Amino acid sequence: MRIACVLIPHFPVAVERRRDPSLNGRSTVIGETPDQRKAVLDCSPEAEAQGVRAGMPLRPALALCRDAVFLPPHPSRYSDVFDSMLAVLEGFSPEVEPSSLGRAYLNSDGLARHYEGELDLGERIIRSLKEASGLVAGVGVAEGKFVAWTAAITSEPGQVCTVPVGKEREFLQPLDVSLLPASPDTLRRLDLYGLHTIGDLATLSPGPLQAQFGVEGMRLWDLARGIDSEPLRPRRCEETMSETLRFPAAAVSVEALVVACRRLLMRLHWRLRGRAVRRLRLRAALWGERSWEKTLTFHEAVTDWERMLFIVKSVLTNAALPAPVEELTIELSGITEERGRQSTLFAEKAGLRRQLGETARQLRVRWGRPLVSRVVEVEPWSRLPERRHALIDYEP
Amino acid sequence: MTGLNPLKEPRPVAVTADDAGEPVAVVLGGRRLAVERIEDVWRIDDEWWREEVSRLYYRLLLEAGRPLVVFHDLIRGHWCEQSY
Repeated sequence: MRIACVLIPHFPVAVERRRDPSLNGRSTVIGETPDQRKAVLDCSPEAEAQGVRAGMPLRPALALCRDAVFLPPHPSRYSDVFDSMLAVLEGFSPEVEPSSLGRAYLNSDGLARHYEGELDLGERIIRSLKEASGLVAGVGVAEGKFVAWTAAITSEPGQVCTVPVGKEREFLQPLDVSLLPASPDTLRRLDLYGLHTIGDLATLSPGPLQAQFGVEGMRLWDLARGIDSEPLRPRRCEETMSETLRFPAAAVSVEALVVACRRLLMRLHWRLRGRAVRRLRLRAALWGERSWEKTLTFHEAVTDWERMLFIVKSVLTNAALPAPVEELTIELSGITEERGRQSTLFAEKAGLRRQLGETARQLRVRWGRPLVSRVVEVEPWSRLPERRHALIDYEP
Repeated sequence: MTGLNPLKEPRPVAVTADDAGEPVAVVLGGRRLAVERIEDVWRIDDEWWREEVSRLYYRLLLEAGRPLVVFHDLIRGHWCEQSY
């Protein structure tokens, strides 16, 4: 299968540079500030040249690159830009696989016939992405994902590299063995054996490689010869729904966040109309233009919003949010069809609640806005009376 | 997009203070009511990490036995009443 790999290396840095062009050409490290015990999420090629690597702690990164600009990560911003990138790619092919931030594969079988060849297809993809997001991608087109990726990563940004069918091994031959998807230990051992290029690996017989590296060795041997049988796993277009709440004053307590989540989940529950949910994404816009997000996948589809709230509450309790929350969003996906539920035989209380809910709903329809409210505790311990309680719309 | 509506928000009120800064009269509903007694005074300094709050609260007993809680905003200088 012909596959096009669209790659924007150092995607988080690229997004930050698009937002703030003064970062162009400067060493940039994304993590937190160096006094925090966190890891480097991404770094610019300038910082990489000085030895900084993604995943390393921030303090050594500062020691290696003292002139670097340290930025806090904005996961929501990166995923939004990446989603828009995938939407552009889906304009070219219905089968697009999001691999990691800044890297996507698309099925390009037969696509070249609609353009003036694969080179033209790649150039159009680059142009469309630049127009939509302002980011410059590299594109590699080849048989299989690995060769397409190596074609993309070895080409300059804004360039297209195509590897003709049957020329995969020849293309890979001079490339560094570290491009293979192997563990650091395997790469170190390959280096010790004097295997520095992918071509060195491809000339070996499979037996010794399998003896030394087991299943991983065989996979590397196949890849080195340009054989990649890993299938494309396109993302499915699925229904999502989200609700957002902006706090009157940035919230610092877990309780305030839980109250907000309760409100959002009640609204979403009303929109779900009995359907169940498999995934929930929490996104928070934090003070100081920062963001935080967490995706939760439920073991089984959940219809009960109180159960979702229970799970969300435990996540918020354990998550140390790095700054006060200004805005909170809950996004539901993996929405499945309505399921049957066993109701209780003696449900007087539930009946009263249903009556109240129905009345609230009718008032809302009649007056076009919610008229029934509920008092909730927000920060009950606060010394400021206006922080302790709040009114939220009563959602049946 | 929806929001939380805080309860017990402070409401600006006209207060006449003496030389020591203590309230002696309050204007409520267009009527000037004298302060009969200051029953309690406490200070709250909080939220220095966002918009700093510094308030001097007075629990007052107005003429005709009406209770009222007011505070003097020490940062902005104005007076507010608030259910406490």
